[in-house]
Amino acid sequence: MNAPVSALTPGPLVETDVVRVSLEAPRGRLSLRARGELAPFDVALGLTLPRKIGQRAAGDGIEALCLGPDEWMIHAPEAQVGALLSACATLYERHPHSLVDVSGRETTYVVDGPGALDLLSVGCPRDLDRILPGEGRRTVFDGVTVILWRDGETTARLDVWHSFAPYLSELLETGSRELAADAAAAR
Amino acid sequence: MSSHRVAGKGRIDTTRPVSFTFDGRRYSGAAGDTVASALLAHGVHLMGRSFKYHRPRGPVTAGSEEPNALIGTRRGPGRFEPNTRATVQEIWQGLETTSQNKYPSLKWDVGAVNDAGYMLFSAGFYYKTFMWPKSFWDKVYEPFIRAAAGLGVSPSEDDPDRYASRNMHCDVLVVGAGPTGLAAAHSAALAGAKVVLVDEHAEMGGALLSDPDVQIDGAGAWTWLASRLAELRALGVRTMTRTTAIGYYHQNLVGLCEKLTDHLPDLPADTPRERMWRVRAKRVVLAQGALEKPLVFHGNDRPGVMLAGSAQTYLNRFGVLVGKAPVVLTSHDSAWFAAFDLADAGAKVQAIVDTRDSVRDDLRAGASARGIEVRLSHTATGTSGRLRVKSLRVAPLRADQVGAATEIACDAVLMSGGWTPSLHLFSHTKGSLTWDDTQTTFLPKDTPEDCHIAGASRGLWGYEAALVDGDKAGREAAQALGLKIAAGRFEVAQDRTGSGVSHRELPSDRSPARSKAFVDFQNDVTAKDLRLAVREGMRSIEHVKRYTTNGMATDQGKMSNINGLNIAADALGKPQPQVGLTTFRPPYTPTTFGCFAGYHRGSHFEVTRKTPIDGWAEAHGAAFEPVGQWRRAWYFPQPGESMDDAVRRECRATRESVGIFDASTLGKIEVMGPGAVEFMNRMYTNPWTKLGIGRCRYGLLLGDDGYIRDDGVIGRLGQDRFHVTTTTGGAARVLNTMEDYLQTEWPDLDVWLTSTTEQWATVALNGPNAAALLAPLVEGVTLSDDDFPHMSCAECTVAGMPARLFRISFTGEVGFEVNVPAPMGLRLWELLWERGRQYGITPYGTEAMHVLRAEKGYIIVGQDTDGTVTPYDTGMSWAIGKKKPDFVGMRGLARPDLQAPGRKQLVGLLSEDRSKLEEGAQIVFDPNQPVPMKMVGHVTSSYDVGTSGRPIALALVEGGHDRMGEIVHIPMPDRTIAAKITPTVFVDPDNARLKL
Repeated sequence: MNAPVSALTPGPLVETDVVRVSLEAPRGRLSLRARGELAPFDVALGLTLPRKIGQRAAGDGIEALCLGPDEWMIHAPEAQVGALLSACATLYERHPHSLVDVSGRETTYVVDGPGALDLLSVGCPRDLDRILPGEGRRTVFDGVTVILWRDGETTARLDVWHSFAPYLSELLETGSRELAADAAAAR
Repeated sequence: MSSHRVAGKGRIDTTRPVSFTFDGRRYSGAAGDTVASALLAHGVHLMGRSFKYHRPRGPVTAGSEEPNALIGTRRGPGRFEPNTRATVQEIWQGLETTSQNKYPSLKWDVGAVNDAGYMLFSAGFYYKTFMWPKSFWDKVYEPFIRAAAGLGVSPSEDDPDRYASRNMHCDVLVVGAGPTGLAAAHSAALAGAKVVLVDEHAEMGGALLSDPDVQIDGAGAWTWLASRLAELRALGVRTMTRTTAIGYYHQNLVGLCEKLTDHLPDLPADTPRERMWRVRAKRVVLAQGALEKPLVFHGNDRPGVMLAGSAQTYLNRFGVLVGKAPVVLTSHDSAWFAAFDLADAGAKVQAIVDTRDSVRDDLRAGASARGIEVRLSHTATGTSGRLRVKSLRVAPLRADQVGAATEIACDAVLMSGGWTPSLHLFSHTKGSLTWDDTQTTFLPKDTPEDCHIAGASRGLWGYEAALVDGDKAGREAAQALGLKIAAGRFEVAQDRTGSGVSHRELPSDRSPARSKAFVDFQNDVTAKDLRLAVREGMRSIEHVKRYTTNGMATDQGKMSNINGLNIAADALGKPQPQVGLTTFRPPYTPTTFGCFAGYHRGSHFEVTRKTPIDGWAEAHGAAFEPVGQWRRAWYFPQPGESMDDAVRRECRATRESVGIFDASTLGKIEVMGPGAVEFMNRMYTNPWTKLGIGRCRYGLLLGDDGYIRDDGVIGRLGQDRFHVTTTTGGAARVLNTMEDYLQTEWPDLDVWLTSTTEQWATVALNGPNAAALLAPLVEGVTLSDDDFPHMSCAECTVAGMPARLFRISFTGEVGFEVNVPAPMGLRLWELLWERGRQYGITPYGTEAMHVLRAEKGYIIVGQDTDGTVTPYDTGMSWAIGKKKPDFVGMRGLARPDLQAPGRKQLVGLLSEDRSKLEEGAQIVFDPNQPVPMKMVGHVTSSYDVGTSGRPIALALVEGGHDRMGEIVHIPMPDRTIAAKITPTVFVDPDNARLKL
């Protein structure tokens, strides 16, 4: 049900010798806020929620990233969103929490290739080497709040709210071409 | 071979000739030349005119500190840059350069009459000369001064280049790749640190490039340099040339400006001209070296007079003899080596004139071996020559008495007044300085940053000393990071150590009043000007600087600050530290605006947020307006329609049938948790406990001070769940405020906030046919007054999409806001558009929305309020929960002045002549009172004829609520408009139109 807005068609955005940027197909996204005992949520969600900020966990098709002391971003197949909402709703009486469907709020860029971290450094002031593969952070890119998922040495995802995406696309594209030119000059 | 090129010397590549033009004339040079070195190779010293006196000038230096040789460079349309330093700009095939500040030509310049009138143009002459008559200032003096001011020609075309920026993190950043920096980078890298080494020059090596005869570890300086650089790269050190560290900011953030294309003949695609690096380094090693000081004497600015160290650089780096018969004038040992190098390269050194009475034996032996005449205890009292120095006038000094002068014929004067440690970046850290009397200079003391400073930049001299100190700084930086490394060892032979003395202006037999002994070359500040400033009452160096403009040129005092300080201190009769040093401010060298702007220009200037429906609006010809970061459809003009026409049509269509509006930008916050209702009670003025599930309420948010901050309609979707809306511009601020209260004041509340602004696309339908259009698409809710009255909300399905449906109105018509997941927003919009055709559905923009809401007296926070308006002032005391124990702003609202009668209150205004009032126009009660009149309020919103038949306005007027029907006056430039105070509701005061 998450047909993308016209300006944001999933698929490749830019591909150069050093980095490829593409827009992911829509996926389910849930923002979980909870504190206290988390074990019941682990059961309901089918994964062990990471307890440390920046850490991630994955379950059957879903993954969770701890963003704050009581905050997680959960990605799941769109079809599972309803079930996850229902499963957690049954906990609400005894374990009050907030689980909000934000599937429609944001989109995800995949940045891949030997220049991936350099491309991210164009807009992100954090030390990316200290976000290890398998971790994630909420940070900024070009002044815009993003969630960064470091998937591997040279692969990362950026979650960004839809309205900012055209602006980000522009810099990701400019930056990719610039990195390719750098690489060509270095050869 | 050019006239002054020395075969076999220099690091330029003579097998790769490069030609360029200077003032239209073609010159040849070699790959690796700068504009200055290439011109000097042809014996050309004259490269510019000074700012005030238009005196002919040549390069004084060979680096970025150059005050004189400023040129314009051009690379086709749009790519013109004024004030480029010829000593830095590398030549490339086809480069066009021009001299500045001359008319009609560099060699024959009309402005040079200023030079003859130098007695008039003393320090502060603007302040003295342009005092009277007062009326002349605007019409005569200021335009004249403005026309004369400014160096170089400002570019007038758009800059077609692109600029970039990037972030970097490292363990150790080393600034300066001379011997000190190379050693520091090496020891830190050997210890295992991640090191970045930057240098502003085209190649690394610093002073080593100018001193090839020094032997390090058994190899010549250049051999050692090459192997050391290779080793550094093998160790993983990132080396960046043409990269200037322009500023040192808090917590070891260093700004670097990397110049990528200015040296290239062809511009590579996709490559920015410059890139700003923001480097966050755990430790920083400053190894910026030292800058040579000029000597201050009459005629020290004549082309051909230059720093001795720079002459040595031109010879050894660029293979250029700046003079074939130079004379050396110095107070420091270093210039002796310059004399030796030039003599060894074939120059006939006329003499070494040293101000000191004794000099090291080895230096005297070196001069003697080369047959160079030595004159100790001598001063220089003048030079001759017009466009090029022809002779130096020197005189012996005995007990400070100037003896009989003699002329030494020469074609260049190589001067050295000693060396000033570069403390610029160190000072950016708020580092403290200490005065060193023996070296007559400031040295670095303490810094609050994780910063090391080494080598010549902390007053050390000689290659071995620099290498050892750099190695130590790199080691200490590594140690601070928990890395260990043993001290490096350096075997240095033929080192060039030295020391010297410092001077004020050199003793002279000339009348001080007639002496043109320059301290700041570019701004034409002389020693006389500085002394005059002190005589006229300037005591602080900061005042002396501003009065004389010493140190305010593009070199930012790199040449002039210490000489200026020495002279001012002498004139004041105080030691230098008591007179002080002016503040070093970034950037270290002039930096383009492009570099600072980076990617943020043109379409990427600032974030522009777009809704899912934005594309549709654009395709349907919408005009847009910025609202916060968003761009919103403003109105939808049809062919031939003016804005007023379009807005009137959109308003009418909405009142008569149905209008469709993109409200997606409204801020939305999901408030969820057992503490939700209590949280709402505490945040908003309104009571929420009794609001039923499925019902909405208008919420008013105040600041602590009791003034209106934001508003919006809030729906209760469950016992513990609220759908809060905020203003478009206030969304982020409101969420942050709420989080702030929640985390700091009310951690006891079990409630969480999630921004859903972008989860939902919001399509608003307003008008008598809104329900008829929408009803067939809605499942789960019956759109009737009984089942779904005004101010209802529900989760349901609209056109098969999961939706949150609100029956609310910001127009006074029956209104619905349909929220669907954002990616479905466009589909919903297009469906409603298609099915609305039968009702003549009309898209309306923010302007029509403003008119429609103003006709109903609905306020817009930030337009009708300005942060000093209370709910009472807007007539909204009904929105305050009187029985609530507390809410944000309750206490502020109880302040007597917020309850006082006669405050400015929101009212309606109808102009008597039916003209549209100006928003922001001031209001008076009595138009006949004397000027300045007492202003009693202003127009906050004003619109041309909407649907009420005449222009309407809202205004804040003192005591307005008690002045209904009274006439107030709005003085305008051409006339005064009378207007009647009315209630704020102009259409349907009984809200009959809200019913189905």
